[in-house]
Amino acid sequence: MLSIEEGHGGAVVIVGRLDAAEAASAQAFLDQVKGTVTLDCTGLDYISSAGLGVLLKTQKRLLGVNGKLRLAGLKPHLLDVFTYSGFDQLFEIDRAS
Amino acid sequence: MTTAVQHRPLSAADLEAILDVTKALAAPFDLMTMLGEVVAAAKQVLRAERGSVWLYDEPRGELVLEVATGIRPVRVPWQAGLVGACARSRRIINVPDCYADARFDASVDKTSGYRTRCMLTLPLVDHKDVLVGVMQVLNKIDGVFDVDDEALATALAAQCAVALSRVRMMSAVIEGEKMRQALEMAREVQMSTLPGTMPSVPGYDVCATFRPADLTGGDTFDLALLDQGLLVVLGDATGHGIAPALSVTQMQAMLRMAFRLGADLETAFLQLNNRLAETLAEDRFITAFIGLLDPATHVLRFHSGGQGPILCYRAATRDFERYKPTSFPLGAMEVPSLRAPVSLTMHAGDVLVLVSDGIYEQENPRGEAFGEARVTSLIEADREASAAVMLARVLDAVHAFAEGAPQADDMTIVLLKRHDASVAVGEFDRTIDALDPIVAFTAEAFARLSLDDRLRTRVDLAVEELFTNMVKYGRGSAPVQVRLRAVDGGVEVSLIDSDGAPFDVTKAPDVDIDKPIEEREPGGLGLHLLKRMADRFDYDYAPATGRSLITVRFSVAGLAGCG
Repeated sequence: MLSIEEGHGGAVVIVGRLDAAEAASAQAFLDQVKGTVTLDCTGLDYISSAGLGVLLKTQKRLLGVNGKLRLAGLKPHLLDVFTYSGFDQLFEIDRAS
Repeated sequence: MTTAVQHRPLSAADLEAILDVTKALAAPFDLMTMLGEVVAAAKQVLRAERGSVWLYDEPRGELVLEVATGIRPVRVPWQAGLVGACARSRRIINVPDCYADARFDASVDKTSGYRTRCMLTLPLVDHKDVLVGVMQVLNKIDGVFDVDDEALATALAAQCAVALSRVRMMSAVIEGEKMRQALEMAREVQMSTLPGTMPSVPGYDVCATFRPADLTGGDTFDLALLDQGLLVVLGDATGHGIAPALSVTQMQAMLRMAFRLGADLETAFLQLNNRLAETLAEDRFITAFIGLLDPATHVLRFHSGGQGPILCYRAATRDFERYKPTSFPLGAMEVPSLRAPVSLTMHAGDVLVLVSDGIYEQENPRGEAFGEARVTSLIEADREASAAVMLARVLDAVHAFAEGAPQADDMTIVLLKRHDASVAVGEFDRTIDALDPIVAFTAEAFARLSLDDRLRTRVDLAVEELFTNMVKYGRGSAPVQVRLRAVDGGVEVSLIDSDGAPFDVTKAPDVDIDKPIEEREPGGLGLHLLKRMADRFDYDYAPATGRSLITVRFSVAGLAGCG
């Protein structure tokens, strides 16, 4: 299960599991965002390659219009997914405190 | 004298008489009535004192005189006497003075006291030129049969032949239909006694199936949780048809009754045997495995009357124990006492395999039998699968093996598998929507197998990436099996795709993670991640069954150095 919505202060809050079953709805939401967007990942429990694909597509689009996607509050157990995929080089990542 | 069939125009009166007869012949549909009509018609049209019809029994090469209901018919070889001569030549034989003709058999007159003067013997040949029989008319009322009578008789004989032929075909259809209905009824009775649902036995996975042959065989099975334990039965009555279907039904009812009355295994088996010996026909018997499992102690005790082989897969040694029957087939003879039943203990992952000979003996078009080795190798290959999966696999394999050859006998399989406490197995439809149930399965398995929660993300990732690959690229429709097994220091994840093309996921190319973002594509990331995270990543393909087995191992030690 996944929820993705606009939070306070302009951040996009994503909660739950970003897997192949939820990728399409997450993509549909992120296709609408503009400029520099912070994705609040504090409540993100899981991400698979399908979810990474959604983030990659969004990042490419935003970079093309001088925007970008920042990831905030990423849980430690998800970090190796970003490391092994090289996605830590594609995103500005603020780790969870 | 023998006269060739002659064609003379029939008079209006003759035609009218024959048409009347035709009308009369249209009605009856049983043979005896039809024979009566035919003889009456012949006597009337030809003004004869008596008449008779011999039917040709082609398979036996005989001519048969149906005298009356309830009396054994008279049979003669089809070459004998005047009827035989007529049947062979298919021509009318007109004998004006019987006692002057050497072919005439006067013994019938002697017995009956009737004196035959003259006789017309006519071949009955139907519209398809098939010899149906021979008709004889005796003693023309006012003289002897002449050429006109021969012509009239020829026209009449054609009508009679067609009518008789129709009745014979009809009665064959009716007999066939009666037989079919009787078989169907016996089959329904047989099926109705099979358990509709599998009993739920803590710690065990039980599954059974019964595939009837077209003609009934005599298989049955039973699985029921009773006061005495889990009753496990596989039976097979000798022969085909209605009798075996009904005898196994009777056996099953007796057995359930015995156990319900509190009998133990020995008493039930002995009583069942002795009662069946009393009631079954001399040449009938039933082979049957009858066992009782105590799910608390895991001890299975059984007797088998001529039913074998009895196979038990042992997970620890990965081989099969084979047990022989403990006694004669049931109902073969009364026995005063039995030797002790066989007792075996089911350990984790062990499988009791009971299969009827309809499976072992199923042949392919080249006359090869499916055999025991195919059954055991299928069970061994799917040793970690559920009993239902093993069972389906065996049935599929038998079906494929037969290559369309007909199923000659009933097929029955009973599988009893003791859960392996270190393994969790789930099966999921090939759709992305299955990801939610998969996550639920994994969560439950982590709790039950006491797996380290730090491995959860990696396991979920492995299952999702491999599963979605199978959904996207697999060609089959069979469910995908997911297994989690607790291993030393970690967990082993297996996915089984039972009808896919071979694709070695471990050989998938790596993704270049140092490319600039404009050149990065999402494809291939899943397998790339698995290769980085897994301690072991193996692929195995079994060409015979089209089974892909992917195994990934993760350990807590392997987490070190990462986030």
